[in-house]
Amino acid sequence: MTTLEHQVGSHPIPNPQKSLITKLHMGTGLVIGAIFAFGTYYWLRSGQDMTVARNVNKVLLISMFMWSFGFMLGIGAFIGPFRWLIGKDLTAEEQLFLAGEGQGVSRYFRYCTDHKVVGIQYLVGVMAMLGVGGTLAMMIRTNLISPGSKFVTPVIYNSLVGLHGITMIVAMIVVSTGPFGNFILPIMIGARDMAFPRLNALSWWVLFTAIPVLCSAWFLGGIPTGWTAYAPLSVQAGPGMNAFVATIIIFAISTAVAGANITATVVTMRAKGMKWNRVPIFVIGATMSVALAIPAFPTFMVSMIMTALDRTAGTTYFDANFGGSGWLYAHLFWIMGHPEVYVILLPGVAILMEVAPVFVRKPLFSYTAAILGFAGIAGLSVLVWAHHMYMSGWLPMLNGPFMVTTEMISVPTGLIFLVILGTLWRGKPWMKLPMLSVYAFLWNMLIGGVTGVYLSDVPADNYLHGSMYVTAHFHYTLMGAALTGAIAGLVYWFPKMTGRMLNERAGYISFWFTQIGFQILFLGMFIAGAEGQPRRVADYAAVYRNSDRISTMGAYLIGTGMITLLWAVVHSWRKGAIAPMNPWGAKTLEWTVPFPVPLENFDEAPIITSDPYGYGRSEK
Amino acid sequence: MTTTTSTRNNKSAIGGLIFVLLGVIVVSTVGVVLHTLSADPQKKLYATVSGTMSTPQGVLPHAFIEEGVYPDSVLSKSHGANGGSHPGWPSYGPATHLVLPAHSYVTMTLTVYDSGEKLNHAYFGKVVGTVDGTMTIDGTQVSALPADGVQHTFTLHGLPTSTQDPLFVNVPLPKMTDDQMKVYDDKGTLPVGHKVVFSFITGGKGEYVWNCEYPCGDGTYAKFGAVMGQLGYMSGKVSVA
Amino acid sequence: MSSHDHEVEEVLPPTPGDRVITFLKRKDVVQSFVLGIFFTLVFVILGRDFYPKWMPTIMSTDMKANEALMVAFTYISAPVCGVVLGIATYTFLNRHTGDTPPEDGPAIRTNTPVVVVWGIVSSLMALLAIIWGLVELNVGSEAAASEARTAMVVEVTGSQWVWTFKYPAQGIETHELNLPIDQPVIFDVISSDVNHSFWPVQLGVKVDANRLQTTVVHTTPTKLGAIDVKCAELCGLYHAYMETTGQIMTAADFNNWVTAQGGHVA
Repeated sequence: MTTLEHQVGSHPIPNPQKSLITKLHMGTGLVIGAIFAFGTYYWLRSGQDMTVARNVNKVLLISMFMWSFGFMLGIGAFIGPFRWLIGKDLTAEEQLFLAGEGQGVSRYFRYCTDHKVVGIQYLVGVMAMLGVGGTLAMMIRTNLISPGSKFVTPVIYNSLVGLHGITMIVAMIVVSTGPFGNFILPIMIGARDMAFPRLNALSWWVLFTAIPVLCSAWFLGGIPTGWTAYAPLSVQAGPGMNAFVATIIIFAISTAVAGANITATVVTMRAKGMKWNRVPIFVIGATMSVALAIPAFPTFMVSMIMTALDRTAGTTYFDANFGGSGWLYAHLFWIMGHPEVYVILLPGVAILMEVAPVFVRKPLFSYTAAILGFAGIAGLSVLVWAHHMYMSGWLPMLNGPFMVTTEMISVPTGLIFLVILGTLWRGKPWMKLPMLSVYAFLWNMLIGGVTGVYLSDVPADNYLHGSMYVTAHFHYTLMGAALTGAIAGLVYWFPKMTGRMLNERAGYISFWFTQIGFQILFLGMFIAGAEGQPRRVADYAAVYRNSDRISTMGAYLIGTGMITLLWAVVHSWRKGAIAPMNPWGAKTLEWTVPFPVPLENFDEAPIITSDPYGYGRSEK
Repeated sequence: MTTTTSTRNNKSAIGGLIFVLLGVIVVSTVGVVLHTLSADPQKKLYATVSGTMSTPQGVLPHAFIEEGVYPDSVLSKSHGANGGSHPGWPSYGPATHLVLPAHSYVTMTLTVYDSGEKLNHAYFGKVVGTVDGTMTIDGTQVSALPADGVQHTFTLHGLPTSTQDPLFVNVPLPKMTDDQMKVYDDKGTLPVGHKVVFSFITGGKGEYVWNCEYPCGDGTYAKFGAVMGQLGYMSGKVSVA
Repeated sequence: MSSHDHEVEEVLPPTPGDRVITFLKRKDVVQSFVLGIFFTLVFVILGRDFYPKWMPTIMSTDMKANEALMVAFTYISAPVCGVVLGIATYTFLNRHTGDTPPEDGPAIRTNTPVVVVWGIVSSLMALLAIIWGLVELNVGSEAAASEARTAMVVEVTGSQWVWTFKYPAQGIETHELNLPIDQPVIFDVISSDVNHSFWPVQLGVKVDANRLQTTVVHTTPTKLGAIDVKCAELCGLYHAYMETTGQIMTAADFNNWVTAQGGHVA
């Protein structure tokens, strides 16, 4: 691959003053997006009977898509494709400008193709989303602090539940592969950038346009459906539901683009000598995750398009009165939904596997088992979706087969445990924050996994399905395991991404607040579920008072812990101790480049001769 | 370690505490805003007690409460400019949060003005939970209405919980004829409505909800969207105090 | 180095038995083993007590099977928890703190017998869980088949946001679910609008209510007392209030109740 500098020749800082590209940024995107959105809204509104729900849905949906399109136009995403249409391309100077060369902080607000900039954009965006989702969680728990609570109305409570869910799911899908998959992963494999740098910028900014759309749900009356958006309730729902539908469709585009990009990068751009058995395990996990997302998300997108059509065009995909079926929605949703939880989990686990050898100073135990574990999970995860539908009444005779596939997932999951335990075995783990996260993961994933086995079993699910027990179970896996992994990644790569060390004391305080609060919250929720409290209820009978109160206290502890983490990040980013090039003594490639990482990462293309886990004294 | 480092550490610890405090304030502000938005948009409607009534449960205070059911929330007088009046949505009025005395014989009078089509579920055409299982429509005693003779229902229920007595009332409200509704459609003035009277006995203190079981969310799935998904029109609270 | 290697070669290799004994005497192995036993016991006790303590009264054959299964699964998973937590805790106790990395540990890249045994054991445990679940499923459907002729039918309708129950043989329809004890019952569940999920909590069964699509679930109540009926599928505004109660009654009480409701004894 020819470098950009080479093409430009001897001009170190380009000066493409005349190009339109230099004049576009987030601000122009916001302005043009807003003009498109409101212009479309008022234009379509006139001449429509806006008391008819179907017309409202139509106008709102189109306006939301026009916002997204207008923003992308305004930020300059289509300049390149447009040049291709007329048989040209961006000039080398323009490309260098897009890569953010010599622009300082302003490049974070542009359509920047540098994977490191995109990584930081994702990091900040994800933290904002987690902050919003977490705040909503606090509100949910506050309402449940006692039976008969009048903190919020059922309308607002249902919206809290749904928007907490979808905000967190969207954030968690990109929480590892967004920041670290973009910033770190290309350096880890010795690449100069991603395979498709412009698509990389596209994936982030498209995701960015989904955030205001999702937030608009609050101003349109909220959503009553939870994040699963089951039809026909979603067809019945008010105008806020359009925001949900549009968000998912926009988000699915973003994940498809990001997934294709990361996969292509890893397949084609690994450094010389980096055979498949020398690829760092995080790269394997992240790639499997995004590759799994590529087939999974289109079904979600399709289900949302069908919901949109039912809501606007009068189709009856999900209306049993006209031959449709709610089960159709449930299938489409869970065919995405179950692979999706592993899309979230795999990169988090992979980060912890990457971290463990560094801090134990031992090789990763059985690289093959790790890959078999990932591949087994990814493979089986597409065959288990109907375990969410045991109690739906849909073809009970298939409950048996789906129970078999679901419980088989415990075997590759067991391999993941083996790899981490084997890496710890006979080591002296260096108890830095990322290592503590490994231990937190082992406990949380154990609880999440074991409770998952109950839920996968049809007779037990007879009782537990749809109860708080399920909520507690998946929070143990998604938050306790995947988010813990992502936070470990943040602490671990913080020096490389920001040039500074994360404040350790604040990190420890945050860790213990979060993890202890987490155990309290979800222990209470397991009990509430066992007692028979359904999930997503705005109010409950007095018998669940104690368990719910315990849960709420735990939630406040988590909240405190997370705010502390945010402070640690903000403070350390500005004033933290300057990090050495390789503070943890790790052997992966990202630690061989200085901070700030040069535009094309490596002065000289690295050549790989072994995997990055060559720790340890040889055994006698 | 030098003093400067520890001073810096202390300074940053104070900064951290302030930051966490700010975070708590931000989250609490969100809570306050949501709580404010959740405030009852309605004034409460209190039942008035007048005299006593002898019942199988003994002599109880006799409480009276009156509501109207309007084809348009603009007419129900319960949804002023700030209360979320929505043209075209039917509504109870003048309030949707009813406050009833505990251990009382409650007589409720509903004056109803709307048209109707057909219930989603015929069960809600039955009178349930009232004294004798009946109501009177313009003075005539009735115990059920046909599924297609209903305009709305008053269906009172609640969370079964050890801390309050169960209370379930379902009263179907007779629809106006098309001729009667034509007056409203043409001139915008309400026809003479039906007067529905029924009585039920409250237990101890408790919080219940009521909603309409007639599908009045036109243009949505099962006609249970739009107005049916919002509080303060065809649904509300009942506090037995 | 090379001379040292020579010496090692000249010593007779230890027999497998010796190697196992040396392995078992190692400090780390003993530590992990003791910790593992401790955690296994903790989870066994948890399994024995957690569900029986917190789950509501067992009032049907299905609820009994559900709870027994959850307790049994906890017993099965206890050794797994023991192994994971035992090893994790032992390494945690041997941790290294400070600002410099510890010395490198032994370069164990893999251990094929361990991986193979781990894989086989976890597969067998998954198999056990699968077989157990399938047997339970089969017991359930056999019971359904044998009870079908004698069962009482209750038609359950979920409406936003009230449950109603029709007893076709008795000719009554109510908003409370009363059932005679020891009488197999079949619930034909349907919705008049969006999806709901019919959940008579103490009876330990559950099935979604769909528009125009009857779903079926059956059980036999085995204990007198009050039951709760809840909706376990988010169904909009008053989902939380879509609950009602009922009683498991003696046959005589049930018949009296039916008559009082204006029905006829079937």
